[in-house]
Amino acid sequence: MKMTETKKEYEFWLARIRHLPNQKKYLLHTHMKSAERVYYIEETEMRKLTFLNEKERNTIMQAQKEKDIKIAYEKLEEKGIHFITCFMDAYPSKLKEIADFPYALYVKGSLPDETKKHAAIVGARRCTPYGEKYALEFGKMLAEYGVEIISGLARGIDGMGQRGALLGKGKTFAVLGSGVDVCYPKEHMGLYVDILEQGGGILSEQPPGTPPLSIHFPMRNRIISGMSDTVLVIEARKRSGSLITAYMALEQGRDIYALPGPVNSGLSEGCNQLIRQGAGVLLSPEILLEEIGIQVVAGNKKSDKNKKMLESPENMVYSCVGLYPKSISQLLEETRLESEELLQRLVSLELQGLIREISKNYYIKIK
Amino acid sequence: MSTSTVFTAAVRGIGVEFICVEADISNGLPVFHMVGYLSSEVKEAAERVRTAIKNTGLEYPPKRTVVNLSPATIKKKGASFDLPIAVAILTALGKIPKKTIKDKLFIGELGLDGRLLKVPGILPIVIEAKEMQVKTCIMPKENAAEGSLAGGIEIIGAESLKEVCMYLNGESIFSTSLCSGGNRKKHQMKETLDFADMQGQEAVERAAEIAVSGGHNFLLVGPPGSGKSMTAKRMATILPPMSLEESMEVTKIYSIAGLVDTKRPLIEKRPFRSVHHTATKAALTGGGLVPSPGEISLAHSGVLFLDELPEFRKTVLEVLRQPLEEKKIEINRVHGNYTFPANFILVAAMNPCPCGCYPDMERCVCSPVQIQNYLRKISQPFLDRIDICVEAPRVTYEELTTKKKTESSADIRERIVRTRRIQKNRFLESGMEIYTNSMMGIKETETFCLLDNEGKNILQQAFETMKLTARSYHKILKVARTIADMDESENIHAKHLREAIGYRTLDKKYWGR
Repeated sequence: MKMTETKKEYEFWLARIRHLPNQKKYLLHTHMKSAERVYYIEETEMRKLTFLNEKERNTIMQAQKEKDIKIAYEKLEEKGIHFITCFMDAYPSKLKEIADFPYALYVKGSLPDETKKHAAIVGARRCTPYGEKYALEFGKMLAEYGVEIISGLARGIDGMGQRGALLGKGKTFAVLGSGVDVCYPKEHMGLYVDILEQGGGILSEQPPGTPPLSIHFPMRNRIISGMSDTVLVIEARKRSGSLITAYMALEQGRDIYALPGPVNSGLSEGCNQLIRQGAGVLLSPEILLEEIGIQVVAGNKKSDKNKKMLESPENMVYSCVGLYPKSISQLLEETRLESEELLQRLVSLELQGLIREISKNYYIKIK
Repeated sequence: MSTSTVFTAAVRGIGVEFICVEADISNGLPVFHMVGYLSSEVKEAAERVRTAIKNTGLEYPPKRTVVNLSPATIKKKGASFDLPIAVAILTALGKIPKKTIKDKLFIGELGLDGRLLKVPGILPIVIEAKEMQVKTCIMPKENAAEGSLAGGIEIIGAESLKEVCMYLNGESIFSTSLCSGGNRKKHQMKETLDFADMQGQEAVERAAEIAVSGGHNFLLVGPPGSGKSMTAKRMATILPPMSLEESMEVTKIYSIAGLVDTKRPLIEKRPFRSVHHTATKAALTGGGLVPSPGEISLAHSGVLFLDELPEFRKTVLEVLRQPLEEKKIEINRVHGNYTFPANFILVAAMNPCPCGCYPDMERCVCSPVQIQNYLRKISQPFLDRIDICVEAPRVTYEELTTKKKTESSADIRERIVRTRRIQKNRFLESGMEIYTNSMMGIKETETFCLLDNEGKNILQQAFETMKLTARSYHKILKVARTIADMDESENIHAKHLREAIGYRTLDKKYWGR
C-alpha cells in the first residue's frame, strides 16, 4: 500500500496515541479503512463501534484535538527515523505472526532482510566472562554465515552478541525499550553507531523520545523473539527477563537454544532449566548453523593446535585457567608453582593472547 | 637597670629562625609592653612571665618594662618564648649577670609557679644552634634528652626558672645537666605483628617484599576481609633499619610536630602512618597559618597507608600527586613558602567494587555503572603513580586452618636490606643521590634498566597487546630492576620483566568491564 506523506501523517497520529491498545488501533484501522478516517470520526459514529469502551473513546477524542502532529512528523523525518505500521508492506512478516504484534514500529537505519534467517541472542545483563565469550562467538559465526542477529542493545549478553555480529561483518538489529533516538544504556553509544554504520537498524515500538521505562522492556522482548526464527539464550538466572523472553518465544513458536553452564552457577540455572525442558543445546556455532540448515564450510573449524606449542609449565597454567575468572591464589593452589613463577607464566600467556586479566589478578581463558 | 638581649629560636616550616629577645626596664608608669609581630599566645606570655618571676621568689619592681622580639618581620608563635623573656627581664633587672647569658640559647614555656614545660621543635633548633656556634642550650628538662641527640653542644635541662637563675649565677653544680652527645643505645623493639601470621597470601607477600625493596608505591585490591590491611600493617615490620642521618631527619619532623617521646626521643623505627579516609587536605599535607607537618611528612622515610582508597575525598587524593613525584611537599602562604620532606612508600588498599565481590558475578551485587562510579573516584594520574598493584584474595577456610610454614618478617627484612644495599651501591658508584629504584628518573631508567633482545620483544608485545602507556613502561622497567636486584642479577632478564608486567596497575578503562 503506497501512501502519500499526508496520509502517513494521519497514520503517525494514530500510532502515537498512548493508552490505546495495539489491538484496538488495529481494529479501528481495519474498520475505518484508513487512519485519516479515524482522525475525522464523530463521537456518534464511534459509539456504534462496539469494541471501544467509554475510556478509549475519550482518548481518541482527546487525540483528535492535537495540533502539532505535522511538526512532530517532520521532526521524525529530520532525525532519519522511518515509521511503519502493520498495514504497510515493509512491516516484518514474521512479526505479524505473533499474537500481540506491535501496531507500528519506528526504525532508524534499515529493517531486517526478509530473505535471511534471523537469530536473537539474549541473556543476562550482569553476565560472566564465559557468557560474554560465547555471546560474542555465536554472534560472530552466525553473522559470518549471513544470519542477522536481533537483540536488545542491553549490557552484557545482548551487547556482546551484537558486537560479535559486527565483528562477523554482518547486520544486526537492536530492539529498544525506549525511543529509537534514545541510546540506553549510554555506554553502548559506540555499539549503537556501529550497528547503523554497518547497515543494521535500531527498532522500537515506542515513539521517539520515550525514556527507557521498565514497563517497556517485557514488551520489547516479544518483538525480539517475534522477529527471529531462533532464540539463543546464553546466560539467564532462574527468574529473569531472558527466561521470560524464552517462554514468549516458545508461545510464538520459535526455536529455542540454550547455552549449558555449570550446575552451580546461578547465571546458568535458567539455561540449564530450558535444556531440561527440551530446548536445543548450544554446543558450538557450527552445530547450530547445521541445525538451522546452513552448510558450514569445512576447514573453518577452530583447531586447538596452539595448545601443543606451549612449553609444559605454561601449558599447565593455561589448563588451570578457565572461562570463569580465577584469582592468582586459586591458581597458586592448583598449580603448586611459586608465586613469582606463576605470575611470569601468566604474563607470558597473556602476551600470547591466550588469557586475559579481567580484574586485578583475575584471569580467564580467551582462546 | 638597663637593657639586655637573650638569644632564642623558633621553628618555621622545617627550618629554624633565630630570634633576639630584648628587655628594657626603665622608670615610668608600671606597664608591661611586648612588641615584635606577636601572635596572641606570645602576648599572653607577659602574664605568665610576671607571675612566674614573682612565684620564683624574685622581686619584680613596679617599673616600665618593654620587651621586643626581633626580627619584627617574623610572626612569633608558640609558648617557647616564655623562658627567654623571663631571662631577658631578670638580666635587665640585674638578677642575672649579663656576661653569663652570652653564647647561650634559651627556650621553654613557663608555668605560673615557675616550672619549665616542654615545647616542640627542640631538635632542629639545637642542630641549627650548633651550626651558629652557640655553646649552651638551656631548655626544659623534659626536652633535654631530645636536645642532646644533636651532640657537640652543651644541653642544660632545667626544671624551673629558679634552677635556671641558680645555674646562671653559678650557684650550684647542676645535677640535671646532660653532657654533650646523645647516648644512642641499640634498642631491640619487640614486634607484635609478623608476616608469619599470614596464611595463603604468598603472591601478596611477594609483591609487598618487592615494593619495600625498591621503595615502590603499592596498591592492594581485594574483597573485604581478605587481609589487605593486615598485609599493609605488616609492611612496617619489613622496612629496613634507618641510618642515623635518616633517624635524625625523621626525629626532626616529629619534633616539630611535638610527637617526640621525652624519654626515648630518637626515632629508630621507620614510621608507618595509617590515615583514615575522613582526613582533610591539611591533615595530609600539613597546614595552619604557619604550617606544621602533615601525615605525608610524618611518613617520611616510611610508609603512608591509605585504607579504603576510593572513600577518600577526591581533592585529598589529588594533593598527593605532587609529593609522590617530588618526594617533598611545598606549602605556600602569603608570608612565605614552606617545604617539608615527604619521601614515603604509598600503600593503598581498596575493594574492586562497592560490595567488594567483583569479579565473582555470583556474589557481586553491583551494576557496571556502580563499579565505574566507584573506580572513578580515583583519578588516572593518581593510579599512574602506583608501581605495583596486586589482588589480595579471599582467604579460604583451609588456608586459615592449615598452618603452613611461612617466612617471618625478620627473614624478609634481611633480604630487603641486602637488595637495598645493592641498589645504593649501584647508584653510589655512578655518583647519584638516589638510593632506591623507585627514585630513578627517565634518564636513570635508561642507564640502569638495560634489556636483552628477549626482554625488548616482551615489552614490545606487552605494549601492543596490553595498551601500555609511556608512564607504565617506565614503571615496569623500574619494578623489573628491583626484581632483578632481589635475584642478585646484574641484568634484567625476561622472567623479571614478565613478573613486573604482572604487577602493573590495570588501566581503569578496562577495569570493571
